[in-house]
Amino acid sequence: MQDFETLLKGSAEAHGHICPGQVVGVRMAMLGCDLIGLDNPQSLPQIKKIIVYVEIDRCATDAISYVTGVKLGRRSLKFVDNGIMAATFVNLETNRAFRIRSTEKSRELASRYAPEIDDKRLQQLEAYKLMPLEELFEVQEVKVDVPINDMPGPTRFKAVCQKCKTVVRDKKEVYKNEQILCRSCAFDAYYRLLTKK
Amino acid sequence: MLQHESSPLSEYEPKKIKIEDAVGSALAHDITEIRPGEYKGPSFRKGHKIERKDLCQLMRLGKRHLYILDLGKEQIHEDDAVLELAIALAGPGVTFDGRPREGKIQLKASYHGLFKVDVDPLINFNLIPEVMCASIHNNTPVKKGQSLAGTRAIPLVIHRNALDKAVNIVRTHYPVFSVKVFNPCKVRLIITGNEVYDGLIEDKFEAIVNEKLKAYGASLVETAILPDDEAMIADSVRLFLDQGTDLIITTGGMSVDPDDVTRSGIRKAGIDKIYYSTAVLPGAMFQLAYKGDVPIAGIPACALYHKTTIFDLILPRLLAGERPDNKDLSRFAHGGLCLDCPTCRFPACSFGKTG
Repeated sequence: MQDFETLLKGSAEAHGHICPGQVVGVRMAMLGCDLIGLDNPQSLPQIKKIIVYVEIDRCATDAISYVTGVKLGRRSLKFVDNGIMAATFVNLETNRAFRIRSTEKSRELASRYAPEIDDKRLQQLEAYKLMPLEELFEVQEVKVDVPINDMPGPTRFKAVCQKCKTVVRDKKEVYKNEQILCRSCAFDAYYRLLTKK
Repeated sequence: MLQHESSPLSEYEPKKIKIEDAVGSALAHDITEIRPGEYKGPSFRKGHKIERKDLCQLMRLGKRHLYILDLGKEQIHEDDAVLELAIALAGPGVTFDGRPREGKIQLKASYHGLFKVDVDPLINFNLIPEVMCASIHNNTPVKKGQSLAGTRAIPLVIHRNALDKAVNIVRTHYPVFSVKVFNPCKVRLIITGNEVYDGLIEDKFEAIVNEKLKAYGASLVETAILPDDEAMIADSVRLFLDQGTDLIITTGGMSVDPDDVTRSGIRKAGIDKIYYSTAVLPGAMFQLAYKGDVPIAGIPACALYHKTTIFDLILPRLLAGERPDNKDLSRFAHGGLCLDCPTCRFPACSFGKTG
Protein backbone atom coordinates (compact mmCIF):
# COMPACT_ATOMS: atom_id res chain seq x y z
CA MET A 1 0.00 0.00 0.00
CA GLN A 2 1.20 3.52 -0.78
CA ASP A 3 2.08 5.94 2.03
CA PHE A 4 -0.52 8.23 3.61
CA GLU A 5 0.50 11.45 1.81
CA THR A 6 0.46 9.79 -1.62
CA LEU A 7 -2.92 8.22 -0.96
CA LEU A 8 -4.34 11.52 0.35
CA LYS A 9 -3.12 13.38 -2.74
CA GLY A 10 -4.67 10.81 -5.07
CA SER A 11 -7.89 10.64 -3.07
CA ALA A 12 -8.30 14.44 -3.11
CA GLU A 13 -7.76 14.49 -6.87
CA ALA A 14 -10.30 11.71 -7.42
CA HIS A 15 -12.83 13.35 -5.07
CA GLY A 16 -12.36 16.87 -6.44
CA HIS A 17 -11.02 18.65 -3.38
CA ILE A 18 -8.98 18.18 -0.23
CA CYS A 19 -11.04 18.25 2.97
CA PRO A 20 -11.11 16.81 6.51
CA GLY A 21 -13.29 13.98 5.22
CA GLN A 22 -10.53 12.90 2.83
CA VAL A 23 -8.05 12.69 5.71
CA VAL A 24 -10.50 10.73 7.86
CA GLY A 25 -11.42 8.43 4.97
CA VAL A 26 -7.83 7.68 3.95
CA ARG A 27 -6.75 6.97 7.52
CA MET A 28 -9.86 4.89 8.19
CA ALA A 29 -9.28 2.81 5.04
CA MET A 30 -5.60 2.29 5.81
CA LEU A 31 -6.47 1.15 9.33
CA GLY A 32 -9.30 -1.07 8.07
CA CYS A 33 -7.10 -2.81 5.52
CA ASP A 34 -4.39 -3.31 8.13
CA LEU A 35 -6.87 -4.83 10.59
CA ILE A 36 -8.19 -7.35 8.07
CA GLY A 37 -4.69 -8.21 6.89
CA LEU A 38 -4.74 -6.74 3.37
CA ASP A 39 -1.79 -4.62 2.26
CA ASN A 40 -2.66 -4.32 -1.43
CA PRO A 41 -6.45 -4.42 -1.75
CA GLN A 42 -6.52 -2.79 -5.19
CA SER A 43 -4.70 -5.65 -6.90
CA LEU A 44 -5.32 -9.34 -7.47
CA PRO A 45 -5.72 -11.54 -5.52
CA GLN A 46 -6.66 -9.19 -2.66
CA ILE A 47 -9.18 -7.24 -4.75
CA LYS A 48 -11.48 -10.27 -4.56
CA LYS A 49 -11.15 -10.61 -0.80
CA ILE A 50 -12.47 -7.25 0.38
CA ILE A 51 -15.93 -5.80 0.89
CA VAL A 52 -16.49 -2.46 2.63
CA TYR A 53 -19.82 -1.32 4.08
CA VAL A 54 -19.98 2.48 4.33
CA GLU A 55 -22.62 4.11 6.51
CA ILE A 56 -22.64 7.61 5.04
CA ASP A 57 -22.51 9.17 1.58
CA ARG A 58 -20.13 12.01 2.33
CA CYS A 59 -16.51 12.92 1.52
CA ALA A 60 -14.86 10.16 3.55
CA THR A 61 -16.70 7.50 1.53
CA ASP A 62 -14.88 8.51 -1.66
CA ALA A 63 -11.55 8.34 0.15
CA ILE A 64 -12.34 4.85 1.44
CA SER A 65 -13.25 3.74 -2.07
CA TYR A 66 -10.07 5.30 -3.49
CA VAL A 67 -7.73 3.65 -0.97
CA THR A 68 -9.32 0.22 -0.95
CA GLY A 69 -10.39 0.08 -4.59
CA VAL A 70 -13.89 -1.03 -3.62
CA LYS A 71 -16.60 0.06 -6.04
CA LEU A 72 -20.41 -0.11 -6.15
CA GLY A 73 -20.31 -1.56 -9.65
CA ARG A 74 -17.95 -4.29 -8.53
CA ARG A 75 -20.29 -5.04 -5.62
CA SER A 76 -17.38 -4.64 -3.20
CA LEU A 77 -18.72 -1.32 -1.85
CA LYS A 78 -21.99 -1.48 0.07
CA PHE A 79 -23.92 1.61 1.13
CA VAL A 80 -25.96 1.36 4.32
CA ASP A 81 -27.77 4.68 4.72
CA ASN A 82 -27.25 5.15 8.47
CA GLY A 83 -25.93 8.72 8.44
CA ILE A 84 -22.95 7.62 10.56
CA MET A 85 -19.32 8.30 9.70
CA ALA A 86 -18.40 4.64 9.92
CA ALA A 87 -17.30 1.81 7.68
CA THR A 88 -16.89 -1.93 8.12
CA PHE A 89 -14.01 -3.68 6.39
CA VAL A 90 -14.61 -7.35 5.64
CA ASN A 91 -12.03 -9.93 4.59
CA LEU A 92 -14.09 -12.52 2.72
CA GLU A 93 -11.34 -15.11 2.95
CA THR A 94 -10.77 -15.03 6.70
CA ASN A 95 -14.27 -13.79 7.63
CA ARG A 96 -12.71 -11.19 9.90
CA ALA A 97 -14.38 -7.79 9.90
CA PHE A 98 -13.83 -4.49 11.73
CA ARG A 99 -16.23 -1.57 12.03
CA ILE A 100 -14.44 1.74 12.39
CA ARG A 101 -16.36 4.81 13.50
CA SER A 102 -15.08 8.37 13.47
CA THR A 103 -15.33 9.70 17.03
CA GLU A 104 -17.26 12.85 17.92
CA LYS A 105 -14.50 13.86 20.34
CA SER A 106 -12.04 14.08 17.44
CA ARG A 107 -13.87 17.22 16.30
CA GLU A 108 -13.38 18.82 19.70
CA LEU A 109 -9.76 17.69 19.90
CA ALA A 110 -8.83 19.30 16.58
CA SER A 111 -7.90 22.60 18.26
CA ARG A 112 -5.42 20.78 20.49
CA TYR A 113 -3.57 19.19 17.58
CA ALA A 114 -3.52 22.27 15.31
CA PRO A 115 -3.88 25.31 17.64
CA GLU A 116 -1.99 27.58 15.25
CA ILE A 117 -4.77 27.34 12.63
CA ASP A 118 -7.88 29.51 13.10
CA ASP A 119 -10.00 28.27 10.23
CA LYS A 120 -12.02 25.36 11.62
CA ARG A 121 -12.01 23.31 8.43
CA LEU A 122 -8.28 23.69 7.87
CA GLN A 123 -7.66 23.04 11.55
CA GLN A 124 -9.58 19.75 11.36
CA LEU A 125 -7.80 18.80 8.16
CA GLU A 126 -4.33 19.18 9.72
CA ALA A 127 -5.35 17.84 13.13
CA TYR A 128 -6.82 14.65 11.69
CA LYS A 129 -3.46 13.95 10.07
CA LEU A 130 -1.71 14.13 13.45
CA MET A 131 -4.31 12.70 15.80
CA PRO A 132 -3.54 9.20 17.13
CA LEU A 133 -5.82 6.53 15.67
CA GLU A 134 -7.33 5.74 19.07
CA GLU A 135 -8.59 9.32 19.38
CA LEU A 136 -9.72 9.59 15.79
CA PHE A 137 -11.56 6.27 15.65
CA GLU A 138 -13.45 3.73 17.67
CA VAL A 139 -12.84 0.18 16.40
CA GLN A 140 -15.06 -2.87 16.93
CA GLU A 141 -14.37 -6.37 15.68
CA VAL A 142 -17.65 -7.57 14.18
CA LYS A 143 -19.13 -10.44 12.21
CA VAL A 144 -20.79 -9.70 8.90
CA ASP A 145 -22.87 -12.34 7.17
CA VAL A 146 -22.66 -11.34 3.53
CA PRO A 147 -25.58 -13.05 1.81
CA ILE A 148 -24.87 -14.83 -1.46
CA ASN A 149 -26.98 -12.33 -3.40
CA ASP A 150 -24.77 -9.45 -2.22
CA MET A 151 -21.50 -11.11 -3.21
CA PRO A 152 -19.42 -9.96 -6.17
CA GLY A 153 -19.52 -12.21 -9.22
CA PRO A 154 -22.06 -13.12 -11.88
CA THR A 155 -25.80 -12.70 -11.27
CA ARG A 156 -27.17 -15.93 -9.85
CA PHE A 157 -30.71 -14.81 -9.13
CA LYS A 158 -33.35 -13.26 -11.37
CA ALA A 159 -37.05 -12.76 -10.77
CA VAL A 160 -39.74 -11.00 -12.80
CA CYS A 161 -42.01 -8.45 -11.12
CA GLN A 162 -45.54 -9.74 -11.58
CA LYS A 163 -46.87 -6.18 -11.80
CA CYS A 164 -44.51 -4.23 -14.08
CA LYS A 165 -42.72 -7.26 -15.63
CA THR A 166 -39.28 -5.77 -14.88
CA VAL A 167 -36.48 -8.28 -14.25
CA VAL A 168 -35.21 -7.96 -10.67
CA ARG A 169 -31.71 -9.27 -10.01
CA ASP A 170 -29.89 -10.44 -6.91
CA LYS A 171 -32.93 -11.39 -4.82
CA LYS A 172 -34.08 -7.83 -4.33
CA GLU A 173 -37.68 -8.77 -5.12
CA VAL A 174 -40.27 -9.04 -2.35
CA TYR A 175 -43.26 -11.29 -1.83
CA LYS A 176 -46.33 -9.20 -1.13
CA ASN A 177 -49.98 -10.24 -1.12
CA GLU A 178 -49.30 -13.42 -3.14
CA GLN A 179 -47.24 -11.57 -5.77
CA ILE A 180 -43.51 -11.42 -6.43
CA LEU A 181 -42.86 -7.69 -6.93
CA CYS A 182 -40.02 -5.26 -7.51
CA ARG A 183 -39.53 -2.80 -4.66
CA SER A 184 -40.94 0.12 -6.64
CA CYS A 185 -44.22 -1.76 -7.11
CA ALA A 186 -44.30 -3.20 -3.61
CA PHE A 187 -43.49 -0.05 -1.66
CA ASP A 188 -43.43 3.69 -2.27
CA ALA A 189 -40.92 4.35 -5.07
CA TYR A 190 -38.31 7.10 -4.66
CA TYR A 191 -39.72 8.71 -7.83
CA ARG A 192 -43.11 9.77 -9.13
CA LEU A 193 -44.17 9.13 -12.69
CA LEU A 194 -45.09 12.24 -14.63
CA THR A 195 -48.15 11.78 -16.78
CA LYS A 196 -47.68 13.04 -20.33
CA LYS A 197 -50.47 15.35 -21.45
CA MET B 1 -34.08 -53.37 10.70
CA LEU B 2 -35.63 -50.66 8.56
CA GLN B 3 -34.77 -50.79 4.90
CA HIS B 4 -34.58 -47.64 2.83
CA GLU B 5 -36.75 -48.06 -0.23
CA SER B 6 -34.81 -45.60 -2.36
CA SER B 7 -31.50 -45.90 -4.09
CA PRO B 8 -28.25 -46.35 -2.15
CA LEU B 9 -26.82 -43.07 -0.86
CA SER B 10 -23.87 -42.92 -3.20
CA GLU B 11 -21.96 -45.23 -5.44
CA TYR B 12 -18.84 -43.13 -5.19
CA GLU B 13 -16.05 -44.64 -3.08
CA PRO B 14 -13.46 -41.99 -2.30
CA LYS B 15 -9.85 -43.10 -1.95
CA LYS B 16 -8.64 -43.32 1.66
CA ILE B 17 -5.11 -42.48 2.75
CA LYS B 18 -3.42 -42.90 6.12
CA ILE B 19 -3.12 -39.66 8.07
CA GLU B 20 0.68 -39.93 8.22
CA ASP B 21 0.76 -40.02 4.43
CA ALA B 22 -1.51 -36.99 4.06
CA VAL B 23 1.04 -34.17 4.44
CA GLY B 24 0.82 -31.98 1.36
CA SER B 25 -2.71 -33.16 0.43
CA ALA B 26 -5.70 -30.81 0.38
CA LEU B 27 -8.64 -31.67 2.65
CA ALA B 28 -11.66 -32.94 0.72
CA HIS B 29 -14.16 -31.50 3.23
CA ASP B 30 -14.38 -29.46 6.44
CA ILE B 31 -13.24 -31.37 9.53
CA THR B 32 -15.65 -30.80 12.39
CA GLU B 33 -14.48 -30.32 15.94
CA ILE B 34 -16.86 -30.80 18.86
CA ARG B 35 -15.95 -29.69 22.37
CA PRO B 36 -19.03 -30.59 24.47
CA GLY B 37 -20.86 -27.52 25.69
CA GLU B 38 -18.18 -25.24 24.25
CA TYR B 39 -17.73 -25.44 20.49
CA LYS B 40 -18.98 -27.19 17.40
CA GLY B 41 -17.61 -26.08 14.07
CA PRO B 42 -14.96 -26.61 11.46
CA SER B 43 -11.48 -27.15 12.85
CA PHE B 44 -9.99 -27.39 9.35
CA ARG B 45 -11.68 -26.08 6.20
CA LYS B 46 -12.05 -27.88 2.90
CA GLY B 47 -9.02 -27.25 0.69
CA HIS B 48 -6.62 -26.76 3.63
CA LYS B 49 -3.23 -28.14 2.67
CA ILE B 50 -2.17 -30.49 5.43
CA GLU B 51 1.11 -29.71 7.16
CA ARG B 52 3.04 -31.91 9.51
CA LYS B 53 2.03 -29.72 12.46
CA ASP B 54 -1.68 -30.47 11.74
CA LEU B 55 -1.31 -34.23 12.24
CA CYS B 56 -1.57 -34.18 16.05
CA GLN B 57 -4.72 -32.05 15.96
CA LEU B 58 -6.30 -34.32 13.32
CA MET B 59 -5.47 -37.37 15.39
CA ARG B 60 -6.95 -35.72 18.49
CA LEU B 61 -10.14 -35.33 16.43
CA GLY B 62 -10.12 -39.07 15.86
CA LYS B 63 -8.85 -38.99 12.30
CA ARG B 64 -6.63 -41.88 11.21
CA HIS B 65 -7.51 -41.72 7.51
CA LEU B 66 -8.45 -38.94 5.10
CA TYR B 67 -10.26 -38.98 1.77
CA ILE B 68 -8.64 -38.05 -1.51
CA LEU B 69 -11.22 -37.05 -4.08
CA ASP B 70 -10.87 -37.60 -7.79
CA LEU B 71 -14.32 -36.65 -9.02
CA GLY B 72 -15.88 -37.52 -12.34
CA LYS B 73 -18.23 -35.20 -14.21
CA GLU B 74 -21.35 -36.69 -12.62
CA GLN B 75 -19.94 -36.69 -9.11
CA ILE B 76 -20.65 -33.50 -7.19
CA HIS B 77 -18.88 -32.49 -3.98
CA GLU B 78 -21.21 -31.77 -1.04
CA ASP B 79 -20.28 -28.06 -0.97
CA ASP B 80 -21.15 -27.58 -4.63
CA ALA B 81 -24.30 -29.66 -4.27
CA VAL B 82 -25.64 -27.76 -1.27
CA LEU B 83 -25.22 -24.49 -3.14
CA GLU B 84 -27.51 -25.78 -5.91
CA LEU B 85 -30.01 -27.01 -3.32
CA ALA B 86 -30.07 -23.69 -1.46
CA ILE B 87 -30.48 -21.66 -4.66
CA ALA B 88 -33.48 -23.78 -5.62
CA LEU B 89 -35.08 -23.71 -2.16
CA ALA B 90 -34.70 -19.99 -1.44
CA GLY B 91 -37.65 -18.02 -2.77
CA PRO B 92 -38.33 -14.31 -2.36
CA GLY B 93 -37.27 -12.95 1.02
CA VAL B 94 -34.96 -15.90 1.68
CA THR B 95 -31.19 -15.73 1.37
CA PHE B 96 -28.06 -17.45 2.64
CA ASP B 97 -24.31 -17.27 2.99
CA GLY B 98 -22.87 -18.86 -0.14
CA ARG B 99 -19.99 -20.42 1.77
CA PRO B 100 -21.15 -23.78 3.18
CA ARG B 101 -19.94 -24.76 6.63
CA GLU B 102 -19.36 -28.46 7.18
CA GLY B 103 -21.41 -29.12 4.03
CA LYS B 104 -24.45 -27.20 5.33
CA ILE B 105 -26.13 -23.96 4.32
CA GLN B 106 -28.53 -22.06 6.54
CA LEU B 107 -31.33 -20.17 4.84
CA LYS B 108 -32.20 -16.85 6.46
CA ALA B 109 -34.87 -14.17 6.16
CA SER B 110 -33.78 -11.16 4.15
CA TYR B 111 -36.56 -9.01 5.59
CA HIS B 112 -39.21 -8.96 8.32
CA GLY B 113 -42.33 -10.87 7.31
CA LEU B 114 -44.34 -14.07 7.40
CA PHE B 115 -42.38 -17.24 6.61
CA LYS B 116 -44.18 -19.52 4.19
CA VAL B 117 -43.39 -23.15 3.50
CA ASP B 118 -44.86 -25.28 0.73
CA VAL B 119 -44.80 -28.39 2.87
CA ASP B 120 -45.56 -31.18 0.37
CA PRO B 121 -42.65 -30.47 -2.01
CA LEU B 122 -40.41 -30.10 1.03
CA ILE B 123 -41.41 -33.61 2.13
CA ASN B 124 -40.89 -34.97 -1.38
CA PHE B 125 -37.47 -33.32 -1.49
CA ASN B 126 -36.57 -35.12 1.74
CA LEU B 127 -37.70 -38.46 0.30
CA ILE B 128 -34.52 -38.36 -1.78
CA PRO B 129 -32.03 -39.94 0.62
CA GLU B 130 -29.01 -38.04 -0.70
CA VAL B 131 -30.35 -34.66 0.43
CA MET B 132 -32.10 -33.14 3.40
CA CYS B 133 -33.69 -29.88 4.41
CA ALA B 134 -35.21 -29.00 7.78
CA SER B 135 -37.13 -25.79 8.39
CA ILE B 136 -39.04 -23.90 11.04
CA HIS B 137 -42.84 -23.98 10.76
CA ASN B 138 -45.00 -22.50 8.07
CA ASN B 139 -46.66 -19.16 8.93
CA THR B 140 -44.06 -18.10 11.49
CA PRO B 141 -43.45 -14.34 11.69
CA VAL B 142 -39.71 -13.83 11.17
CA LYS B 143 -37.22 -11.01 11.52
CA LYS B 144 -34.48 -10.10 9.06
CA GLY B 145 -31.51 -12.45 9.46
CA GLN B 146 -33.50 -15.11 11.33
CA SER B 147 -32.67 -18.73 10.49
CA LEU B 148 -35.43 -20.40 8.52
CA ALA B 149 -34.03 -23.70 7.31
CA GLY B 150 -30.88 -25.73 6.88
CA THR B 151 -30.01 -27.95 3.97
CA ARG B 152 -27.20 -30.27 2.95
CA ALA B 153 -26.24 -33.17 0.75
CA ILE B 154 -25.90 -36.29 2.87
CA PRO B 155 -22.93 -38.06 1.24
CA LEU B 156 -19.59 -36.33 0.71
CA VAL B 157 -20.09 -36.85 -3.02
CA ILE B 158 -23.55 -36.91 -4.57
CA HIS B 159 -24.45 -38.19 -8.03
CA ARG B 160 -25.66 -35.55 -10.50
CA ASN B 161 -28.93 -37.46 -11.10
CA ALA B 162 -29.94 -37.40 -7.45
CA LEU B 163 -29.04 -33.74 -7.14
CA ASP B 164 -31.00 -32.79 -10.25
CA LYS B 165 -34.00 -34.76 -9.02
CA ALA B 166 -34.00 -32.88 -5.71
CA VAL B 167 -33.53 -29.51 -7.38
CA ASN B 168 -36.32 -30.18 -9.87
CA ILE B 169 -38.81 -31.06 -7.13
CA VAL B 170 -38.40 -27.69 -5.45
CA ARG B 171 -38.01 -25.72 -8.69
CA THR B 172 -41.32 -26.94 -10.02
CA HIS B 173 -42.98 -25.79 -6.79
CA TYR B 174 -41.17 -22.45 -6.56
CA PRO B 175 -41.16 -20.93 -4.04
CA VAL B 176 -40.90 -23.68 -1.44
CA PHE B 177 -39.60 -21.14 1.08
CA SER B 178 -40.57 -17.48 0.98
CA VAL B 179 -41.16 -14.53 3.25
CA LYS B 180 -44.20 -12.34 2.70
CA VAL B 181 -43.87 -8.71 3.70
CA PHE B 182 -46.35 -7.30 6.19
CA ASN B 183 -48.55 -4.58 4.76
CA PRO B 184 -48.41 -1.31 6.73
CA CYS B 185 -52.17 -1.57 7.36
CA LYS B 186 -54.40 1.15 8.75
CA VAL B 187 -56.37 -0.56 11.50
CA ARG B 188 -59.48 0.62 13.33
CA LEU B 189 -60.62 -0.91 16.61
CA ILE B 190 -64.10 -1.29 18.07
CA ILE B 191 -64.15 -2.09 21.78
CA THR B 192 -67.56 -3.28 22.91
CA GLY B 193 -68.95 -3.68 26.40
CA ASN B 194 -71.43 -1.73 28.52
CA GLU B 195 -69.05 -1.84 31.47
CA VAL B 196 -66.31 -0.05 29.52
CA TYR B 197 -68.69 2.31 27.71
CA ASP B 198 -70.28 3.36 31.00
CA GLY B 199 -66.87 3.90 32.56
CA LEU B 200 -67.33 1.23 35.21
CA ILE B 201 -64.03 -0.38 34.24
CA GLU B 202 -61.04 0.90 32.35
CA ASP B 203 -60.36 -0.52 28.89
CA LYS B 204 -57.24 -2.66 28.62
CA PHE B 205 -57.78 -3.94 25.07
CA GLU B 206 -56.53 -0.92 23.14
CA ALA B 207 -53.01 -1.14 24.59
CA ILE B 208 -52.83 -4.89 23.90
CA VAL B 209 -54.00 -4.52 20.29
CA ASN B 210 -51.76 -1.51 19.68
CA GLU B 211 -48.66 -3.31 20.89
CA LYS B 212 -49.32 -6.35 18.72
CA LEU B 213 -50.01 -4.22 15.64
CA LYS B 214 -46.83 -2.21 16.11
CA ALA B 215 -44.73 -5.38 16.11
CA TYR B 216 -45.76 -5.93 12.47
CA GLY B 217 -45.60 -2.31 11.31
CA ALA B 218 -49.38 -1.76 11.26
CA SER B 219 -50.94 1.30 12.85
CA LEU B 220 -54.04 1.81 14.94
CA VAL B 221 -55.63 4.95 13.55
CA GLU B 222 -58.89 5.07 15.51
CA THR B 223 -60.62 3.37 18.42
CA ALA B 224 -64.35 3.43 19.17
CA ILE B 225 -65.71 2.32 22.54
CA LEU B 226 -69.32 1.18 22.18
CA PRO B 227 -72.01 -0.32 24.39
CA ASP B 228 -73.43 -3.78 23.64
CA ASP B 229 -75.77 -2.36 21.04
CA GLU B 230 -76.19 -4.10 17.70
CA ALA B 231 -77.18 -1.01 15.75
CA MET B 232 -74.33 1.12 17.07
CA ILE B 233 -71.82 -1.65 16.36
CA ALA B 234 -73.17 -2.07 12.81
CA ASP B 235 -73.03 1.71 12.22
CA SER B 236 -69.44 1.86 13.45
CA VAL B 237 -68.34 -1.05 11.23
CA ARG B 238 -69.96 0.62 8.20
CA LEU B 239 -68.35 3.97 9.04
CA PHE B 240 -64.91 2.41 9.42
CA LEU B 241 -65.33 0.58 6.10
CA ASP B 242 -66.29 3.86 4.40
CA GLN B 243 -63.23 5.57 5.86
CA GLY B 244 -60.82 3.31 4.01
CA THR B 245 -59.71 0.87 6.70
CA ASP B 246 -57.45 -2.10 5.87
CA LEU B 247 -58.45 -4.15 8.91
CA ILE B 248 -61.19 -3.74 11.52
CA ILE B 249 -60.73 -5.41 14.88
CA THR B 250 -63.50 -5.80 17.42
CA THR B 251 -62.97 -6.94 20.97
CA GLY B 252 -65.41 -8.64 23.30
CA GLY B 253 -69.04 -9.66 22.86
CA MET B 254 -68.22 -12.88 21.01
CA SER B 255 -69.64 -15.37 23.50
CA VAL B 256 -73.09 -16.70 24.36
CA ASP B 257 -74.43 -14.18 26.90
CA PRO B 258 -77.53 -12.18 25.97
CA ASP B 259 -75.38 -9.04 25.99
CA ASP B 260 -72.84 -10.53 23.56
CA VAL B 261 -74.13 -8.80 20.44
CA THR B 262 -70.89 -7.89 18.67
CA ARG B 263 -71.25 -10.81 16.27
CA SER B 264 -74.78 -9.90 15.27
CA GLY B 265 -73.78 -6.22 15.06
CA ILE B 266 -71.04 -7.10 12.56
CA ARG B 267 -73.48 -9.27 10.60
CA LYS B 268 -75.94 -6.37 10.42
CA ALA B 269 -73.26 -4.14 8.93
CA GLY B 270 -73.71 -6.03 5.67
CA ILE B 271 -70.66 -8.22 5.45
CA ASP B 272 -69.97 -10.68 2.62
CA LYS B 273 -68.49 -13.71 4.43
CA ILE B 274 -68.47 -14.77 8.02
CA TYR B 275 -66.67 -17.61 9.81
CA TYR B 276 -67.42 -18.13 13.48
CA SER B 277 -65.49 -20.38 15.86
CA THR B 278 -61.95 -21.66 15.52
CA ALA B 279 -60.14 -24.76 16.68
CA VAL B 280 -57.91 -22.74 18.99
CA LEU B 281 -57.76 -22.51 22.76
CA PRO B 282 -57.71 -19.76 23.87
CA GLY B 283 -59.81 -18.18 21.15
CA ALA B 284 -62.55 -20.67 20.24
CA MET B 285 -65.15 -17.93 19.85
CA PHE B 286 -63.15 -15.93 17.35
CA GLN B 287 -65.07 -14.62 14.35
CA LEU B 288 -63.59 -13.65 11.02
CA ALA B 289 -65.77 -11.68 8.61
CA TYR B 290 -65.01 -9.95 5.31
CA LYS B 291 -66.54 -7.01 3.53
CA GLY B 292 -64.95 -7.21 0.11
CA ASP B 293 -61.26 -7.63 0.86
CA VAL B 294 -61.41 -5.98 4.27
CA PRO B 295 -61.28 -8.39 7.22
CA ILE B 296 -63.27 -7.76 10.39
CA ALA B 297 -61.62 -9.81 13.12
CA GLY B 298 -63.73 -10.37 16.23
CA ILE B 299 -61.43 -11.09 19.14
CA PRO B 300 -63.04 -12.78 22.14
CA ALA B 301 -62.46 -11.39 25.60
CA CYS B 302 -60.02 -14.19 26.46
CA ALA B 303 -57.31 -12.05 24.82
CA LEU B 304 -57.56 -9.74 27.83
CA TYR B 305 -56.38 -12.51 30.12
CA HIS B 306 -54.15 -14.76 28.02
CA LYS B 307 -50.91 -13.39 26.65
CA THR B 308 -51.16 -15.49 23.50
CA THR B 309 -54.40 -16.37 21.72
CA ILE B 310 -55.98 -16.88 18.30
CA PHE B 311 -55.30 -13.16 17.71
CA ASP B 312 -51.53 -13.85 17.62
CA LEU B 313 -52.03 -16.61 15.05
CA ILE B 314 -54.41 -14.76 12.73
CA LEU B 315 -53.01 -11.21 12.88
CA PRO B 316 -49.71 -11.84 11.00
CA ARG B 317 -51.61 -13.78 8.32
CA LEU B 318 -54.07 -10.91 7.78
CA LEU B 319 -51.30 -8.29 7.74
CA ALA B 320 -49.37 -10.38 5.19
CA GLY B 321 -52.38 -10.06 2.89
CA GLU B 322 -53.81 -13.53 3.46
CA ARG B 323 -57.53 -13.99 3.76
CA PRO B 324 -58.05 -17.19 5.76
CA ASP B 325 -61.35 -19.06 5.47
CA ASN B 326 -63.09 -21.68 7.64
CA LYS B 327 -60.75 -24.39 6.35
CA ASP B 328 -57.72 -22.37 7.43
CA LEU B 329 -59.31 -21.74 10.81
CA SER B 330 -59.97 -25.49 11.19
CA ARG B 331 -56.35 -26.28 10.31
CA PHE B 332 -55.34 -24.58 13.53
CA ALA B 333 -56.80 -27.61 15.38
CA HIS B 334 -53.56 -29.58 15.27
CA GLY B 335 -51.33 -27.39 17.41
CA GLY B 336 -54.14 -25.05 18.41
CA LEU B 337 -53.92 -25.76 22.14
CA CYS B 338 -51.90 -23.27 24.15
CA LEU B 339 -50.24 -24.93 27.12
CA ASP B 340 -50.47 -21.71 29.13
CA CYS B 341 -46.89 -22.08 30.34
CA PRO B 342 -45.83 -20.03 33.40
CA THR B 343 -43.34 -18.22 31.13
CA CYS B 344 -44.71 -17.79 27.62
CA ARG B 345 -42.17 -18.73 24.92
CA PHE B 346 -44.48 -18.13 21.97
CA PRO B 347 -43.70 -18.25 19.07
CA ALA B 348 -40.97 -20.74 20.12
CA CYS B 349 -43.54 -23.40 21.00
CA SER B 350 -46.07 -25.68 19.34
CA PHE B 351 -49.01 -23.23 19.58
CA GLY B 352 -50.56 -22.62 16.18
CA LYS B 353 -47.75 -24.22 14.25
CA THR B 354 -49.79 -26.30 11.84
CA GLY B 355 -52.36 -23.64 10.99
